[in-house]
This record gives sequence, structure tokens and C-alpha cells, in this order.
Amino acid sequence: MNCKLCSALFQEYLENTLSEDLINELNNHMNHCERCGIFFRTYSLTVTLSRQVETPSCVSTEKIQRLTALLCERLLSK
Amino acid sequence: MSNTKDKLSDAALVIRIKDDDSKALEEIVKRYSNKVYNLAFHLTRDASAAEEIMQEVFLTVIAKIATLTNEAYFATWLYRVTTNAAYGFLRKEKKFSDQPSVDDMNQDQSPTYDWSTLPDDILLSEESSSVLRESIDSLPETMRTIVIMKDVDGFKNEEIAQSLGLSVPAVKSRLHRGRLILRRTLSDYFRKYSDASGEDV
Ligand SMILES: [Zn+2]
Repeated sequence: MNCKLCSALFQEYLENTLSEDLINELNNHMNHCERCGIFFRTYSLTVTLSRQVETPSCVSTEKIQRLTALLCERLLSK
Repeated sequence: MSNTKDKLSDAALVIRIKDDDSKALEEIVKRYSNKVYNLAFHLTRDASAAEEIMQEVFLTVIAKIATLTNEAYFATWLYRVTTNAAYGFLRKEKKFSDQPSVDDMNQDQSPTYDWSTLPDDILLSEESSSVLRESIDSLPETMRTIVIMKDVDGFKNEEIAQSLGLSVPAVKSRLHRGRLILRRTLSDYFRKYSDASGEDV
């Protein structure tokens, strides 16, 4: 495992698609290579922070009702 | 009656909508309105545009549902209609049209500062969120859409690929490059906290 391969596998690592052997190799490399360890931690934290950048909104029940009424009218008048 | 509809698959509901079944349409709206709204909102950053897009998307569903030959692809078709409507809005408003130069993609800077150990109040501050949001908005259009769909809204790679008409590897490579750009922006931003702690940079 070298640094280039290591960083190329970060994405698959987060997707949980790597074999156990490869995960061990990757962890082993990161335990010895400070640069890749930091790179991986900040890469995965970037993904985590992106997830929190927006709070999911809910469309209000009234708006859904209004939309549904409009759509049903349109559907039946086709 | 809605109890039995709840158990129907999307494909079964779509077949009923093709037969002008308004209850099936209601169920589809209930199932997907929040997803469509959030995706439109995150792509446009405009709540009233997102509402209009949501309405436009479902009107398109009614108008074009007959052209959807494989009912199982309903969800990705819906997301494709949503992203296209959002792009239409962004073009009209000329929002986020600045493309970063190739230099911005250069991610060779050595990541020597470990900001992952910073406390949550710094990592999750309003300021760091807005730095990240601005960085997402400055990504090239398709990359920005992919990052929003995957990392902000939690869509699957396959759903994103089908919605955008790209291959899964193409989605993954843009996602990875996008994340590298965001990571670098955050590294630059958080670096000021390494100075404060007296560490050598
Ligand atoms: Zn390394």
C-alpha cells in the first residue's frame, strides 16, 4: 500500500465496499503514515459536515393539500 | 383506503396514475413531496423557487407519466425532472454559474494540519457551515449537484447516476473530486485555529 493508492480508496472505504484484507492494509498504512491518517480523517469529516450543512425541511400539510387538489383537478381534466 | 395504498410499490401507483387514479397520485405526492422539495431547495437555495419547482415537477408527472415506460424507474425519473427544473431556475437567475479554474482542483497541498480534532463548537459553527455551503456552491454545476444529492441529501450513487444520465463511476469520480475541493477549503478555513493553539504549521 502506498499513499496514492491509500487516498484513492477513501471513497470506497466510506461506502463500505472494501474487502476486509484491503481495510486492514489501509488501516495499517494509516497507522504508520501520519499524512494519510490526517487526510482520511479530514476527508471523512468533510462528508459528515456536508450532511449537516442543511437541515431537511418539511413541506406544510396545507401546501401539500393545495398541491394535491391542483394535481387531482389537472389529472381529471386531462 | 390509504392503508392499502401505503403498501403499494411506486410502480403499482404509477400504473394507477396512468389510469387517472387520483388516490394513487395523492399517495405519490405524500411519498415524494418532501424529497423533491428538499432537493430543489438545496440546489436553488431559494424556498419559494423550491415550492414552484415542486409544483412544476408534479404537473410534469401528470403530463408525461404515459412516457415513463418502466414504472420501476419512477423515483429517478422524478429526481431527473427536479434537477432539470432546478437547473432551469439557476440559468434564469444566473446563480452559481462561476466555474472554478483548473487550479482550484489542484489538491496536492499536503494535509499536515489535523483539524478533525477540533471541538464541535468550532466544527459545527454557523461560520464554518457557511464556508462549506459557499464552497459547495462554487463547484462546477454537475459536481455541485452530485455533492448535494449524495452528501447533503443522502441519495444512492445509482439513483444519482440514473437521475443525471451518468455512469456510476462518473458520479463517484466527480463526487470524490468535489469532496477534495471542499476538504481543502475547510482545511484553509480551520487553519486559523491551529495558529491559536500555538502549533507550528
Ligand atoms: Zn500515506
